[in-house]
Amino acid sequence: MIPFDFNYYRPATIEEAVALYMRLDQKGKWPLYWSGGTEIATFARLNQIYTEAVIDLKGIPECRALAVEEQEMTLGSALTLSEIHDSEIFPLLGATGSGIADRTSRNKITLGGNVCSELIYKEAILPLLLADSDVIVAGVSGARRLPIAQLFQRSMQLAKGEFLVQFKVNTSYRLRPYTSVKKRKQSAIGYPIITVATLTTESGSRFAFSGLCDFPFRSEEIEKILNQHELPVGERIRQAEDRLPAPIRSDMLASANYRRLVWQVTLEDLLANMEA
Amino acid sequence: MEIVGKSVPRKESLDKVTGAATYTADRIEPSILHARLAVSPYAHARIVSLDASAAQNAPGVLAVLTGDASEVLVGEEIRDRPILARDRVRYYGEPVAVVVAETEAQAQWAANLVQVQYEPLPVVNSPAEALHPDAPILHERLKEYEKSEDVVSVPGTNIASIVHVIKGDIERGLAECEKIVENTVSFGPSDHAAMETRSAVVQIMPDGRVFIDTSSQAPFAVKKYMARYFGLEPGRVIVRTLFVGGAYGGKSSVQLEPIVYLASRAVGGRKVKLVNTREQDITTSPVRIGLQAKVKLGSTHDGKIKAVQIVYHFDGGAYNDKSSAIALSAASDCTGPYSVENLHCECLTVYTNHVFPAAFRGFGHTEMTFAIERGIDALADELGMDPWELRMRNAIVPGDTTPTRNMLNSSNLGDLRTCLERMRELSGWEDWKVQQLNDHTVRAKGIACFWKNSSFASNAVSGVILLFNQDGSVNLETGVVELGTGSKTVLAQMVAERLRMSVDRVHVKFKVNTLDTPEHWETVASRSTFFAGRAALKAADDASKQLIAIAATVLRADPDDLELGDEKVFVRADPRVQIPYKDICYGYRYPNGNSIGGQIIGRGHFIQRWMSPLDPATGEGQLGPEWNVGAQAVEIEMDTRDYSYRIVKAISVNDAGKVLNPKGAFGQVMGAMAMGLSYASHEGFDYTDEGILLNTTLRTYSVLRYGENPEYIVEFIESPCLDAPFGARSLGEYGLISIPAALASAVSRAAGVRMNVLPLFPETIWRAKDGGSV
Repeated sequence: MIPFDFNYYRPATIEEAVALYMRLDQKGKWPLYWSGGTEIATFARLNQIYTEAVIDLKGIPECRALAVEEQEMTLGSALTLSEIHDSEIFPLLGATGSGIADRTSRNKITLGGNVCSELIYKEAILPLLLADSDVIVAGVSGARRLPIAQLFQRSMQLAKGEFLVQFKVNTSYRLRPYTSVKKRKQSAIGYPIITVATLTTESGSRFAFSGLCDFPFRSEEIEKILNQHELPVGERIRQAEDRLPAPIRSDMLASANYRRLVWQVTLEDLLANMEA
Repeated sequence: MEIVGKSVPRKESLDKVTGAATYTADRIEPSILHARLAVSPYAHARIVSLDASAAQNAPGVLAVLTGDASEVLVGEEIRDRPILARDRVRYYGEPVAVVVAETEAQAQWAANLVQVQYEPLPVVNSPAEALHPDAPILHERLKEYEKSEDVVSVPGTNIASIVHVIKGDIERGLAECEKIVENTVSFGPSDHAAMETRSAVVQIMPDGRVFIDTSSQAPFAVKKYMARYFGLEPGRVIVRTLFVGGAYGGKSSVQLEPIVYLASRAVGGRKVKLVNTREQDITTSPVRIGLQAKVKLGSTHDGKIKAVQIVYHFDGGAYNDKSSAIALSAASDCTGPYSVENLHCECLTVYTNHVFPAAFRGFGHTEMTFAIERGIDALADELGMDPWELRMRNAIVPGDTTPTRNMLNSSNLGDLRTCLERMRELSGWEDWKVQQLNDHTVRAKGIACFWKNSSFASNAVSGVILLFNQDGSVNLETGVVELGTGSKTVLAQMVAERLRMSVDRVHVKFKVNTLDTPEHWETVASRSTFFAGRAALKAADDASKQLIAIAATVLRADPDDLELGDEKVFVRADPRVQIPYKDICYGYRYPNGNSIGGQIIGRGHFIQRWMSPLDPATGEGQLGPEWNVGAQAVEIEMDTRDYSYRIVKAISVNDAGKVLNPKGAFGQVMGAMAMGLSYASHEGFDYTDEGILLNTTLRTYSVLRYGENPEYIVEFIESPCLDAPFGARSLGEYGLISIPAALASAVSRAAGVRMNVLPLFPETIWRAKDGGSV
């Protein structure tokens, strides 16, 4: 139960949504964009978030787009993880998304919501990083398209009133070999100790990680090391560890040392399978 | 037997699966007021000041109550707990204020506005810390508190209760031993995680009658304690319970009812409802007990156990309530199902800054079994013996005595040896050593045995009323609460069997109302089929006598010549002479209209003979009538690189005495096994050094999910308990008791390190194995 009242808006266009946000913000309504709503609902009932107005993006057709064309695929930010998984549009994203929460929650959780989560995991970002996706972002000054690596630096760098509209992914990535592995503390469902997603192209395999550090990341430097097939697997993993962008995380799910071990074992298995 | 021993579907199933069944919190009434709690964010702190004005002035708020609202101290064994914290909080999540408002949202909003200034105090985060000479004393007034007669406290310390269970001569016993092992185990509190969170609704009528609707396993205990706490007449406290959505012992404590009573009293007796959020059900309401234990086992070279010395330090939490009773129950069976001549057990229940414990399926026995069974495994290791052999050699048998010095026979003790034999076959125990599947995967098995005697008040009562309907069918009424165990269906089977009618013709009343339902002490301790079963059979016999009496008149036959069958009374020697129940159960009407008799009402009650509390100095006494036993095994596959593992198979062989409802029995045991696996592999509270609980939601407090279940194999042997209805031994708790120990046994074998802590997270195993150094 959410112990405060708030107004609910469901705009039909991007412009209307942005205008609403600005107006409500000026009126001191603490507006929030609403997509799946799972995180807002969760934090609101725990008294950790407050708003007097939510702006539901699911009524905007662009946010709900789902298309595969010759050049690129379009994934609307308000598609649910279940919809993406079941559509088989981008199997890697479907697989990584299906490790998040449980099916009932994934019927609500959206792609845009997950990658903008307040939590550190944002696992749906991993396939988008690996596929060099572009992002369409809407704001006061209209919509802009930019590479994901530019927008996602540890978290989504969105200006006030901006929201994600779509991801554009080159269609050539759609059916590339991939893996998506999630290791949890114990349960079949829950936050990750680590999640690793990989995508293999002609130029080698790409790796992205969630749970390992305080933010999800893809590192080309680490990819270069892990693709050095002439080096033994153990050596590559050791070198990769030296290039991590931040210290390994220590929390309720795993200490840093144990998390390192799980990461190493996961990479060992992944590399062995890829090179078998 | 035609009905007992058959799989009869639970009578409430259709209501439940269609959503038609209602639970305490389901009822929505326009005039009802809603309560919400403000709780402590500290595990131990002094309340410096409390400002409720903002909450008081919030929209819709009728009252805000704080510790000043009542000076009454509550608690079952020791009355040490203020209803709302007074001056001081002793656990994270302790209620400090309750807000009453027109809507639930308004109550919650206002509860968030209660301003409390705390001064943090040093925290006692474990039994070991509680017993440290410099530990802060959590209850300075321990000496003054009102206590049960068998509770021995040590004022000036954090020891809420101390009990010894002593048999033989421990010094001499140890001196005779050729091998001695010592093993310590440790685990913290955890949650019941019942699907339905706790709730209570209270209304105080103008004439002072108090109506309480509560999601309780113990509505009669609520009546008793509410009357005692507030000086009310028991007959004017009317407690009602509908279905309860899972309880597992956690709903036998009285916690929300006094809070909501104060809340209702503050608003002129209007009806007030309080429903725990999931977070508060985990942090504020009572939980499963934690334990630190040391077990010393001594044996001969060939594995005959001669002496057992045990020290228990139970994590009694911030308030005692039931924890010393749980500890006592554990101590009373502390040797496990093994024959031990020389025993010394010291059992302490200590105060800590953790949420206080409630009963939990097994009532201390899962905890004590983990301690003793891990010790038995350690002894087998040291002796170089097959752990199954060691258990078989020492299995307790008729002619032995219990730790509480009760003589055992084949009725009051189940047949452990037969259970062990069957478990050996089912688990393929001849290959009990670790199997290497590939470079880094092993398969391993673990076993453990259990026993349990149920403890209850020595004068605990159970009653049943049978009311006939005009069509000859029967209504069964008992104070047993339907928690999801199917007990009331089993009682209907017993009545149908005895009254020679179809079980479909025995209608069960699910709602318990202390105003007109015969008392069943508490729906705990696996006592429903035993106690209420005995009462039901007595009620059936009473009804049967009445049916025969009136039939004798109508049929002009000697009552001794009459028998029941197929819902009729007939002459044994000439079954053509007969009369259906429907013609006599509402009186008999002669052709000319003259009538005799009346509605037949069968009455039955039960009280267990010869129960007596334990002598706290020696442990001598008798807490319950029968020790039920079984043997369990768990098989796992482990990745020895990161110690992650998968539970492949779990096996339980229980002595059921007599299986009353095979599918029901299977479900009870399998469900309990799943709970044991979940507890041992997933569940445990994660406290910071300051005693702040971190995993307060089901996102972070992880339980076994449906898809994580292994293959379950459940079998029963039947060696009857002569006191029990149809010889049936209890089952409700027994599937759980030694599962954590069996899992730890398998995990230890797979990892090659003795695991003595719970839960068995892969990282925990890695720490034990590699010392966490990589």
